[in-house]
Amino acid sequence: MTALLIKSEKDDSRNNALGKTAAFSAPARCGYPFSAILAQEEMKLALLLNAVNPAIGGVVVRGEKGTAKSTAARGLRELLPARADGNLPAFVDFPLGATEDMVIGSIDFEGAIRDGAVRFQPGILARAHEGVLYIDEVNLLDDHLVDSILDAAESGENIVEREGQSLRHPARFILVGTMNPEEGELRPQLLDRFGLAVSIVGEHDVALRVELLKRREAFDADPEAFRAAYKEAEGALGQRIADARERLPEVAIARHLLGFIAEICTRNHVAGHRADIVIARAACAFAAWEGRSDVNADDILKVAPMALLHRMRAGVPDMPPPPPPPPPETEAQPEEENQEEQNADTQGEQSPEEAPPEEGLSPPDEDTAAETSLPSDAPPDAPDEGKAAQDAGADDSSDEVQEVGQTFSVRQIRRAVKDQILRTGSGRRSRTRSASKQGRYIKSTARRQGRNDLALDATLRAAAPYQKARRASADAQGQGMAVLVEMDDIREKIRERRIGNFLLFVVDGSGSMGAQRRMVETKAAIMSLLLDAYQKRDKVAMVIFRGRTAEVVLPPTNSVERAARLLADLPIGGRTPLAAGLAEAAGVLRRVLRKEPNIMPLVIVMTDGRANAALGEGVPRDEALRIALALHERFETTQFVVVDTEAPGVVRLELARQLAGVLGASYFKVEDLRAEDLVSIAKEHRA
Amino acid sequence: MSNTEPVHKTLYPFVAIVGQEALKKSLILNVINPGLSGVLIRGEKGTAKSTAVRALAELLPEIDVVDGDPFQSDPHDPRAMAPEVYARYQAGETLPVRRRKVRVVELPVSATEDRVIGTINLETALKEGRRTIEPGLLAAAHRGILYMDEVNLLDDHVVDVLLDSAAMGVNTIEREGVSLSHPARFTLIGTMNPEEGELRPQLLDRFGLCVHVEGLNDPAQRVEVVKRRADFEDDPEAFAARWADETEKMRTAIATAIVRYPRVQADDAILYAIAERSLKLGVDGHRSDIIMLKAAKALAAWEGREQVTEQDVDGAAALALAHRIRRKPFEDISGSSFS
Repeated sequence: MTALLIKSEKDDSRNNALGKTAAFSAPARCGYPFSAILAQEEMKLALLLNAVNPAIGGVVVRGEKGTAKSTAARGLRELLPARADGNLPAFVDFPLGATEDMVIGSIDFEGAIRDGAVRFQPGILARAHEGVLYIDEVNLLDDHLVDSILDAAESGENIVEREGQSLRHPARFILVGTMNPEEGELRPQLLDRFGLAVSIVGEHDVALRVELLKRREAFDADPEAFRAAYKEAEGALGQRIADARERLPEVAIARHLLGFIAEICTRNHVAGHRADIVIARAACAFAAWEGRSDVNADDILKVAPMALLHRMRAGVPDMPPPPPPPPPETEAQPEEENQEEQNADTQGEQSPEEAPPEEGLSPPDEDTAAETSLPSDAPPDAPDEGKAAQDAGADDSSDEVQEVGQTFSVRQIRRAVKDQILRTGSGRRSRTRSASKQGRYIKSTARRQGRNDLALDATLRAAAPYQKARRASADAQGQGMAVLVEMDDIREKIRERRIGNFLLFVVDGSGSMGAQRRMVETKAAIMSLLLDAYQKRDKVAMVIFRGRTAEVVLPPTNSVERAARLLADLPIGGRTPLAAGLAEAAGVLRRVLRKEPNIMPLVIVMTDGRANAALGEGVPRDEALRIALALHERFETTQFVVVDTEAPGVVRLELARQLAGVLGASYFKVEDLRAEDLVSIAKEHRA
Repeated sequence: MSNTEPVHKTLYPFVAIVGQEALKKSLILNVINPGLSGVLIRGEKGTAKSTAVRALAELLPEIDVVDGDPFQSDPHDPRAMAPEVYARYQAGETLPVRRRKVRVVELPVSATEDRVIGTINLETALKEGRRTIEPGLLAAAHRGILYMDEVNLLDDHVVDVLLDSAAMGVNTIEREGVSLSHPARFTLIGTMNPEEGELRPQLLDRFGLCVHVEGLNDPAQRVEVVKRRADFEDDPEAFAARWADETEKMRTAIATAIVRYPRVQADDAILYAIAERSLKLGVDGHRSDIIMLKAAKALAAWEGREQVTEQDVDGAAALALAHRIRRKPFEDISGSSFS
């Protein structure tokens, strides 16, 4: 009997329901208790607030590996009020390989075949109803899946409009996502739709670590006994959630405090109004959690950081305004209220967190920034690398090795460049999809492209409703297949591969790059792009031109690490054989494209454009431009970016700009690659 | 499922591998306590990486499985049962038991996601109009060892899936209109050549231990390697027979250590020593502590003691910390301060 049958019968057999559901959750029945999780107060609070009111919109937990993220999410489930049928609420661990129909739901295939009726086969969203939907590594999930999930999380229902079905069903669940920012960010639009975000790090206190270790060992040794020891604490927490849920409808926010929330949001340049709404909801939930029916300013300050963390630009510290503005009508009252609450808080068990509001704010810029772009880590190390490189290259006295400058935020860099990739990239990417059968199956299409990549599930679903009728006629003809599939039913898979970009760096290593330490800047820019390439799993290669010749110093490789190491040791000196560099790039492109015709090359030329060494007899610069033109025409699917490394200030020759024109390339100055300021980004979002 | 059955071919005996003590020790510790969640073997080509992993199969203990169950359910532990078997267990059925060696399941670089996770059985779907599951490699590897040669070259989405299961101990088949979760707790053993690209930090962290292997430097040892290899290739069976006693001795020693492991104690001083090491080296999260403790206990068990010593912690740290030190994405593991 298939699992599916067990599942579809689950609801009918209430009397036996315990056994059946338990069968499904068998592996997870013995989880680590939530109340036994040490520290990580902010994460726990964020989860609990969502348990009180799932409409807050979930939590995304950013941070280190091995910090009890998933343990906490699993533990939360056992604290939630039991469902109407007496079962534990669901904990659905979202599988990264899921397809769209499995998330949203599809047609009940067996039912359709059995009795020709179109019935809904609930998907993951339905199963998560009243429970927890946990998505590990949410930043690796396909965007459109994240979209569907977030839609449901926010509205509390799942709307199905597919495969001839039109229905909606409730899907209220607590959404918990985890991500490691090193692996690339979620798109800001998606990130914004998570209600709260917390950033967590491992515990630094030795005694706490030891206690944690002991608990873990005790749990591993005898899970049942361990859980028994925490039974009471679990019960108390569960009761507190239930009470808070009950109280929640009565909780209200005073009008002047709504103004306070708005002020916090504007101060932090948060785009849109979702932050305001989430803060209000979370503050209500927090008040309810604390057993109060009115929200005070401290509640807001407590939850605001969690609502803002992922909605601010990285690196911008949050400055929550000082205590709430006195309300226009009665000045003294809120102050008093405030004091009272503070007292209550310090006595309450939440007191250890009383300090964190401020602290809770600093980790975001320290940690997330460090993890995404390492701007603060990079400089102390960079000189070392440079020095080592200098030693290595010391034999060539005319050469100079400049260190890698400070890398800058990947996100901004990616915005600048990725934007370009996407514009032509989406088209290419789909061609890559259709050409190969590799990649993740994300959904199906009825539009056949002759790829012979059958989406069996979708095909069968499409055929299912007609089985009764077809079988009747088939039996007459004596055909014996159980499922009769016709051409119109055929569905093909749409797959997505996230890999497939190829970055070719063509770097000017001539002496002129050394002026005003331009190479430091250039290396920083390359490094930043490499970081971006790492997150996107791009292939990279590097061509250096200097002196008389150009050289492929890094043949196409997936090892971005190698590129980074090489970069540090890159010497400069000699003339600028730009033409040779471009010719060499053409060679690399040709080889790569022959091997992988579907790859999408992005050639990044970093030069000041002052070509002064030719391949032949001609004028170096004209020759370079001629080759550039040929390159542009020959590799029409390749995208070029010219990064002008000419020093600012002095009379700019803008030779690189000319080169960009001929190559049909996007043109940036090195300094343009840097982050735009907050305001302009925010404007862009609104536009 | 033919690819998951042990190959009936004489393997180079584990005990006959020259040198590579760290590699051998890390593998043995994982057999003693599968909770160590695997080992990543980094190193050049031709350093007995694969030989050691394959040879490990000979030393593995035997376990009970439910006969005929493709998900390798444990007949005695409901938590390690696939849903269907669990239902039978709940219904009071006496489960048929088969005793067999712990398996090494190999995951080839070219593996596709559906073979790894499992997928719908095409035949029953078309012939009978029913959806049934065709279990994947993760089902086969439950309670065993999942071996990935060149783990750094695996397709990204396959890695994602692996991580998911390795983290949860559960594999969820959620494809082609089927939905099934089954326990999938396995020891991950991966080999890689760092020159071909690093592993993502997440995957790296999933490996409990990490060893770096190099070619041997001692000429005498090198000669010995060549000699033994030649002997083995001349007559594998005779060679294995010559080492049979050693193999048996080690198998017994491992079995003894497995029994001893639950009795091994670590006092507070040891726990503090472990936590301080993690802090000093600035590792991410807490997994390093947990793994170090387990590794130290396994070491003590292996050496016949029931009390963890500082030396055990040293030994455990050497295996558990190198790959966890927080580093910038491009920093080399071998180049970091700890090796």
